[in-house]
Amino acid sequence: MKRYMLSMKARRIRDGYLFVLPWIIGCIFFFAGPILLSIRLSFSKLIKVTGFQMEWLGLDNYMRAFVYDVTFIPMFLEVVKNMFVNTPLIVIFSLFIAMLLNRDIKLRGLFRVVFFLPVLLGAGYVMQQLIGYGVDKESIEVAKGMLLPREMLLYFGPRVSGFIQLFLDRFTIILWKSGVQILLFLSGLQGIPPALYEAARCDSATEWEMFWKITLPMISPVILLNIVYTIIDSFTDFANPIIDFIYQTAFQRTEFEYAAAVGWIYFIFILIILGMTFGLMKRYIYRTGK
Amino acid sequence: MQRSISYSPGRTKFRAMLSKINHKSFWLSRVYRFFVYVLLLDLTFIFLYPFMHMLVTSFMTDADLVDITVKWIPNEFRYQNYIIAYNFLKVPVGLRNSIIQTGLPVLGHILSCSFIAYGFARYKFPGRNFMFVLVLLSFIIPAQTIIVPMYINFVSIGWGKSILPLVVPTFFGFGLRGGLFIFIFRQFFMGLPTELEEAALIDGCGSFRTFFTIILPLARTTILVTAVLAMVWHWNDYFEPSIYITKASLFPLPHMLPGMYQEMIQVKNMFVINPVTGELTEKILNEAVAMAGTVIVILPLMIAYLVLQKHFMQGIERTGLVE
Repeated sequence: MKRYMLSMKARRIRDGYLFVLPWIIGCIFFFAGPILLSIRLSFSKLIKVTGFQMEWLGLDNYMRAFVYDVTFIPMFLEVVKNMFVNTPLIVIFSLFIAMLLNRDIKLRGLFRVVFFLPVLLGAGYVMQQLIGYGVDKESIEVAKGMLLPREMLLYFGPRVSGFIQLFLDRFTIILWKSGVQILLFLSGLQGIPPALYEAARCDSATEWEMFWKITLPMISPVILLNIVYTIIDSFTDFANPIIDFIYQTAFQRTEFEYAAAVGWIYFIFILIILGMTFGLMKRYIYRTGK
Repeated sequence: MQRSISYSPGRTKFRAMLSKINHKSFWLSRVYRFFVYVLLLDLTFIFLYPFMHMLVTSFMTDADLVDITVKWIPNEFRYQNYIIAYNFLKVPVGLRNSIIQTGLPVLGHILSCSFIAYGFARYKFPGRNFMFVLVLLSFIIPAQTIIVPMYINFVSIGWGKSILPLVVPTFFGFGLRGGLFIFIFRQFFMGLPTELEEAALIDGCGSFRTFFTIILPLARTTILVTAVLAMVWHWNDYFEPSIYITKASLFPLPHMLPGMYQEMIQVKNMFVINPVTGELTEKILNEAVAMAGTVIVILPLMIAYLVLQKHFMQGIERTGLVE
């Protein structure tokens, strides 16, 4: 009997490995292998491309990025700035829109479809061209009158209206980029048990209180997921200068080592940002007792 | 002392008023609703703006483009823009390439990610947690970081001139955001009750048969959500195809656009003389033609999305992608 149990357990383990086997194979060829090579490459000088003949250089490639290359640091800072400004705005706006969509309103289906549409344009070449023609600025120019009256800006004084202008300039792009995040939030909002809100209403809680005490804690894991997703989404963004830089360095100037080093600097930076996000949010993330 | 006494009923009154606003006051809720709709319509405008702009501009003549009085309705609908763009983009070839280069990776992602995710969700084996961390890491590491060795590897095994570098990794749970799809499927499988599988096990159904005949059909909505997301991302992906695909005959549709824009800048507002007949042809590459090209590029995706959107949205809301 005992032997049977054991073999049962062993069989479960074997089946588990069989299910994950494609991933393990893929991991060796498309992930772990390239990662190790890429790390080695970033510390070396490539002598011959075929067969990866390399000569150990130490930190030279990294030094080059930070000390010698004058274009790298400003570009990197721009990426950092964009990430710090855009990510919170995208998350806040998508939560806001998702909450609007989560009410029982008419034409809800239509609105949901519309808010996902810009995702179809992607961050690729099409979007780049549209932004090149100033379509994003134009749309806000037209919508500004509707969102808030032009006259209102006059009363705010130059500093505040300048700030609003800066915000409005980004506003369209931020909205266009928030399609997937809106969906994730919608999915999360649907998962909150309505009984919680009913109980709160019986105790005469206001909508405002319910948002802070129920919605936000319940949705906190989705907020984290969305932050991670937003950061990752920027990797495929055509407008991300680092990506263009790596492409140019590696495939037009064929400086593979330097491209690898820049790639790793970028990844380390992402990792630090994600680690900070996790660290900061860990205290606020509410977990259901599972 | 007196203040505190007078304060407390005031506060209760205030609270009562607030709850009235929330639940009872008919007019306030009307006004509130009105503003919600205004806001939603505003946002809809911003979200639809690029599409309207593309569509309207694509029908404009050269005169309309420079005429500032023409904003939304062109004086004359010039559908020839589409014919020029169609010829320039080599639509039949590009569309075929795009469909192949989108369809195969989507298929690969659905098959491999659901299969792998099931292993992660249901079986306990040594090293599982470590491997799952690697899955998440594969999602977090930018493609740019490891693109160089990947490229050199693929070239050295002779895949440099084919679409295989885009397709093969997706069948192993890698490729564009493969880690995310494994995550989504795992989330879904973990939410399924185990009774079905136990019943199947007792009836002597093997693990793989259980997966393919019982579990996979249950995951229909998750498959659809994955398919739509993967389709959109692969269709629009620019980075990897621009590196791996070097042969012009394999270019997907979106990759024809840059060439068209380049030429547009060079021959802007120039009439092209037909070398055979010697007459001025209508082949003007301007912004209108460029926009017509853009519309052609996203049209297949748009149609596919509009066909699938109903089930896609329901899938998102019901299955609970995130927990």
